[in-house]
Amino acid sequence: MIRTGSGPLGGGFAVLAMVSAGFVLCAPSSGAQEPPVEPDYDCTRCHSDPLFLEGKTETPEGDAALLVPPDLVLGSRHAELACTACHLEQGETGYPHSASVVAVQCGSCHEAEGQDWLASIHARNLADEGDGATCVDCHRAHDVYAADDRRSLTYPLNVAELCGSCHADPDIVGTYFALPEKADAREAVATYYETVHGVALTRAGLTVSAACNDCHEGHRVLSSDSPDASTHREQLTETCGACHQGVRDSWEQSAHGVAYREGTTAPNGRPAPSCADCHSSHAVVRAVTEEWFVGVVDECGDCHEHLYDTYFETYHGKVTRLGYGMTAKCSDCHTPHEMYPADDERSSVHPNNLVATCARCHPTANDNFAQYYPHGDPTDRENYPDLYWTWRFMSTLLAGVFLFFGIHTVLWIIRLMINRARGLGHDGGPRSGPPSPASEGAE
Amino acid sequence: MKESAPGSPYQRHRLSVSERGEGPLLWRFSRVDRVLHALMVISFLGLVVTEIPLHFSYAPWARRAVRVFGGFEAAGLIHRMCAIITFGYFFGHIITLIVRYRRAPSAKQFFLGPNSMVPQKKDLLDVIQQFKWYFGRGPKPQFDRFSYMEKFDYWAVFWGVAIIGGSGMMLWFPEFFSGFMPGWMFNIATIIHGDEALLALGFIFTIHFFNVHLRPEKFPIDLVIFTGRATAEYMREEHPLEYQRLQAEGKLEERMAPPVDRTYYVWSIAMGFAALAMGVTTVALVIWTVLLH
Repeated sequence: MIRTGSGPLGGGFAVLAMVSAGFVLCAPSSGAQEPPVEPDYDCTRCHSDPLFLEGKTETPEGDAALLVPPDLVLGSRHAELACTACHLEQGETGYPHSASVVAVQCGSCHEAEGQDWLASIHARNLADEGDGATCVDCHRAHDVYAADDRRSLTYPLNVAELCGSCHADPDIVGTYFALPEKADAREAVATYYETVHGVALTRAGLTVSAACNDCHEGHRVLSSDSPDASTHREQLTETCGACHQGVRDSWEQSAHGVAYREGTTAPNGRPAPSCADCHSSHAVVRAVTEEWFVGVVDECGDCHEHLYDTYFETYHGKVTRLGYGMTAKCSDCHTPHEMYPADDERSSVHPNNLVATCARCHPTANDNFAQYYPHGDPTDRENYPDLYWTWRFMSTLLAGVFLFFGIHTVLWIIRLMINRARGLGHDGGPRSGPPSPASEGAE
Repeated sequence: MKESAPGSPYQRHRLSVSERGEGPLLWRFSRVDRVLHALMVISFLGLVVTEIPLHFSYAPWARRAVRVFGGFEAAGLIHRMCAIITFGYFFGHIITLIVRYRRAPSAKQFFLGPNSMVPQKKDLLDVIQQFKWYFGRGPKPQFDRFSYMEKFDYWAVFWGVAIIGGSGMMLWFPEFFSGFMPGWMFNIATIIHGDEALLALGFIFTIHFFNVHLRPEKFPIDLVIFTGRATAEYMREEHPLEYQRLQAEGKLEERMAPPVDRTYYVWSIAMGFAALAMGVTTVALVIWTVLLH
């Protein structure tokens, strides 16, 4: 039988478990609660008896909501707690108790989590719309387990499915993410499974990979529009950097990191990129796939428009645009995160490092080889006069040949039409010449 | 078409302009020339179809097209194999030139005679005469063995193979060439290779096709380059000076050719039309892409 809880919860903050029946208030009460006194009766005598409970509640869940087999709680993280530890008033009013006294305040113990939840979009929705995930939706009511317990809904391997029980429900996402700019949110769970994080977690079984709550937080879930959100643009380097520490360090040093801190923008007005500007959040593809390498060029091109255009004039770029990751793409020469201005000695494209950079794909590259223009622009007379004049020469040659022979051909056709209209042969003489193959063939 | 007379396939089918009129068949192209031209057709088409997806990589059809060849690496392999065929026929032709030079009665005859591809004063006069004829200011020019258009085609290929081939080798073996030339030469080679290729395919698939196959007196196809022989009627109209010269020298007899073997004839037609169709389709695709994108 349920033993009386005495003393504070041991290690309970990892559990974040809250119990409720019907509705929940996670608001922490003022001041810590005294441990409840041991009741002089046994709750389970009634609450494990379906016959007794029949017709005792009119809540949508029905009688089952009242059925709490003792094993359910005894196996949980709250095994040490008496029923009245959560169902506070119950202990005071005695038996028989009314339905209204079952309100549970998880936040009275789980204070920080309760506060975080109160700040979340879930709590706001509950207040505004009467609908939003509460403690028990994620942690269950009585069979509450620690997050590192595989039985817990909040265990890393189970999180996507847990969040997906609402966020993959067409009715729910259709209601709350109806706006066109929320289209990504409607697909969030489905696309998560395709991301490197989702694949690592669900297919590789890698529990350290990011589940929903690692980026969005478990309790203080907020829209990424909100400046406080862990997924807000300004917070991302912290959020992603919590796991990807090495990348965050590199990025902070890089031209992007510097420009980000200084607020420098690209010529087209776009801000310096942090994580998600290149690794679009719910399309985070594993950065070793061809798909990723071909796609990331477009991300770079969002800001580096001219370099993007000129890149596609090269063999590297053309092969990439055909969808093959074989040839050099932005990050192959500029590195993914350690990019610096070309005059910085740390830069992979600094003159001192160019040969080594080329040699990563072209092992025999030498100084001559590194004089290739990876972004040569034939229309740029000032910077690439050699390409400019080559291009002009070739254009003139093409135009000249096609112009001359175009006129030659068109005039020929006109002449033939005139001759035909006049009833003459093809060469303009009388039709005594060769009979046409067609008429001859009909003999 | 009903079979009217037994004998040469020419008399039965009369598909080609080279079959016009009656009379004996005359040799026009030697076997080695025909083989080299066939190699040129095959390799050039192979080069073009594997090149344009890369050249127009932004076109909506490019990705699909390159997958037809088994991906960009396979397309590149086909492209390079066709390049080897191109170098093959190029050097094969150089060898035939050397052989013909040795057989020629004199250097002057070889370089300036009627069988020479070297442009001469008469070619310039023929161009002028052709334009005069366009405007009704004179008769059509009379050509000898090679018209100025054929000479232009010839030198376009000669120049094209050298330029495209040379730049192509640079792009094929950049590590080797960077041993003695700066890297920006590969940028220049890329521009030249691509633009010259565009010139070649644009010229061959429009101007050459019109001059040789599609103009009304030859429509739909001139098989002479495939069968090697033309009727006397054809020669009198297309190359009257050569015909008259042979007649005057009494050499018509030795130029007489037997009828075309039927299998060979069918292959000529199949190859000729396949090449025409591929060329016209390709140039249509290229023009559409250039205009719309």
